[in-house]
Amino acid sequence: MDLAFGAEDQQFREEIRQFLTDNLPADIQQRQRDTRTLASNTHDLQRWMQILDARGWSVPHWETAYGGTDWSPLKKFIFEEELHQADAPEFHWQSTHMIGPIIYMFGSDAQKARYLPSIRRGDYLWCQGFSEPGAGSDLVSLKTMAIREGDHFRVNGQKIWTSAAFESEWGFFLVKTDMNVKPQRGISFLLIDMETPGITVRRIGQINGEAELCEVFLDDVMVPAENLVGEAGMGWTYAKALLDHERTVSSFIHFNKRELRRAKEIAQAETAGGRRLIDDPQTRARLVALDAQVTALEWSVLRVLADEPNRYGGTAAASTLKITGSRLQQAITELQADLLGPRALRYYDPVDWNEPASPLWPHHVAGRTSAALISRASTIYGGSEQVQKNILGKIAFGL
Amino acid sequence: MNFDLTDEQTMICDSAERLIRELGALERRRERIARGEGFDRDLWSQSAELGWLALCVPEDAGGLGGSITDIALLMIELGRGMASDPLISSAILCSTLLAGSDWEGRADWIEQIMSGNGRLAFANLEPGDRAEWPAPRATTLKAEGNGFVLNGAKLLVQDGEGADGYIVTASIPGEQSQALLFVPADAEGLIQDHYRLIDGSRAADLRFDHAPISGGQVIGRGDGVAALLEDAIARASVATLASAIGSMEACLDICSDYLKTRQQFGQPIGKFQALQHMMTDMLVTTHNARSNLYHLLSRMDGDRDERAAALASARLAIGQAGLSVGRTGVQLHGGYGVTDEYAISHHYRYLMALEKRFGDSQAYGAMLADQLFGPIAA
Repeated sequence: MDLAFGAEDQQFREEIRQFLTDNLPADIQQRQRDTRTLASNTHDLQRWMQILDARGWSVPHWETAYGGTDWSPLKKFIFEEELHQADAPEFHWQSTHMIGPIIYMFGSDAQKARYLPSIRRGDYLWCQGFSEPGAGSDLVSLKTMAIREGDHFRVNGQKIWTSAAFESEWGFFLVKTDMNVKPQRGISFLLIDMETPGITVRRIGQINGEAELCEVFLDDVMVPAENLVGEAGMGWTYAKALLDHERTVSSFIHFNKRELRRAKEIAQAETAGGRRLIDDPQTRARLVALDAQVTALEWSVLRVLADEPNRYGGTAAASTLKITGSRLQQAITELQADLLGPRALRYYDPVDWNEPASPLWPHHVAGRTSAALISRASTIYGGSEQVQKNILGKIAFGL
Repeated sequence: MNFDLTDEQTMICDSAERLIRELGALERRRERIARGEGFDRDLWSQSAELGWLALCVPEDAGGLGGSITDIALLMIELGRGMASDPLISSAILCSTLLAGSDWEGRADWIEQIMSGNGRLAFANLEPGDRAEWPAPRATTLKAEGNGFVLNGAKLLVQDGEGADGYIVTASIPGEQSQALLFVPADAEGLIQDHYRLIDGSRAADLRFDHAPISGGQVIGRGDGVAALLEDAIARASVATLASAIGSMEACLDICSDYLKTRQQFGQPIGKFQALQHMMTDMLVTTHNARSNLYHLLSRMDGDRDERAAALASARLAIGQAGLSVGRTGVQLHGGYGVTDEYAISHHYRYLMALEKRFGDSQAYGAMLADQLFGPIAA
């Protein structure tokens, strides 16, 4: 075992830091730091993607043939970590980390030529149409149908939890193309222009006042057959391949580290009984307990990145990352809100950026409770914690 | 000892349950919050008509003089519909302060509050406060001319928007104890700022900039004020905790119904043992929380230190219990739990707000430790 970052990695980290110092616009950085929403400001993200793309770093995790880098998994980790620590905008996951890899792994040459460059530049957003009202954790029972009619598919159905559907130009959808085979074998992967007639998007009001999640209604939507990705009936396989592609993502390790740092800063700024909270034993106990858990999570991520041989299999290790990381997101954001005391109760409209110009409301208050509220979703999306545990029990122990 | 309700208590609970059934629909709540209204005006006027506002006022101050247990039982029912505001701030907190004073405006304002025609809010919290237990105030009252001037700032005045006046705490230079002042909403030198809270209720910040205060506006000053404040905060806290119990019990109904109806993997999700255990954990937590409340109720009329310890204990336990039940309820609902469109997320936010009202778990945890083990050695 060699448990240290190598000299080359350290040098790489310095290089990234220098790049960020030189290139991350201060106004974008400030807005990202103050954000009250999980998704970044779309305009900022696009500006940032162009800056990254100019350096060839907008999709470092892609294969090099399509504009990615030859960085080791550890270097990619360092890159993402430094971006988070510098408060750069979050990647638009559905675009760069989901549909991009799907297209270059399984798409046609025409699809690669048409979509990959624009994803690299962040020209527009993609949304993901997987879940349905009756198919959440039980995704395989989805009902949205795509019937082949000549050179088109006629699509009918309904999707839910489609993030950013209202501002996305394109969507990638899991649809049923064959009713006569096992459910997993009858699902296909379809790219749909969100401007196509028959699509209705309804934004869903969320617990924190945002309305980023959407319902998408598809009513006789005619989709060119050339928008099918890969082979018909392989949609389920492709979607699963995607999950294996990014095994450490669900740890939210960089988010957790950054937000724990923010919690510490709030504890330094807030007082109780005339004493800084950072000097209060209860607060210190909560902070250090979380700090130790984040350390464990980080090293669990590194073990997966380094392909450590694992008695229970790599998927089991990845699953522990998801369970730990989602719980930590909740615990850390809830601590942030608690540190604010009663002031945590003020509602800040996540869309209206005007802050109260009152000395009673320091800058660090805005957005923290909103984050704590929406973080309840982290143990739900991408497979609820309970479903995760069922799967883990099966793959690790054969239960 | 017995835990049976009296006939009168049963009547109160039944009528509260009926009213919540009538006016407590989620859509009605969501539309009201979207309109920027902090509470349900119909429910408020009904509360006056049904005598609930008077129930919270002692008999010798002209009210119906309900016991603290009567009030708690009523608040449990209202908590099921998340409808305890502004009953707590006005009819319980402010009328307790007025009833315990010998202020000349006392009878008038108590009458206004009980009839539902007038509403007062309590302006005490200042930056750095984590609880509203009596403490020296940065807001100061100084003698000037024939009267006084008031300077300072208060934040998070619960239900402060649209109140007819405020009961404001302030320190007087040279005096140990705080003063209680009456400040009408349209007072000179008072600047207000209003906003929504996460549970949809509305609060106000008040800034006093050389606000002139006459001797007739001083509700109380001197030695009795701290004890009066403690009494009022304790009663308001009981009402807050009882509301939380009601909300938690509503979560049990909402979630058990959901588990029986929501289908995944070809069956109701309530068939899954993992979810059954989460549901039963919610029950255990809620059941124990009601016990914490009963313990506090048993200490409300006794020794002040014992009451303070019981209050801190109940605040800590029920505050955390409410958060736990709310979180689990959201998780059981999957994605629907984090939308505004299902009742469970409203209960979670309501329980979060109650956990921090008049003081959060951090403050009450420290207070309980001091009560049980003595202060931390220097």
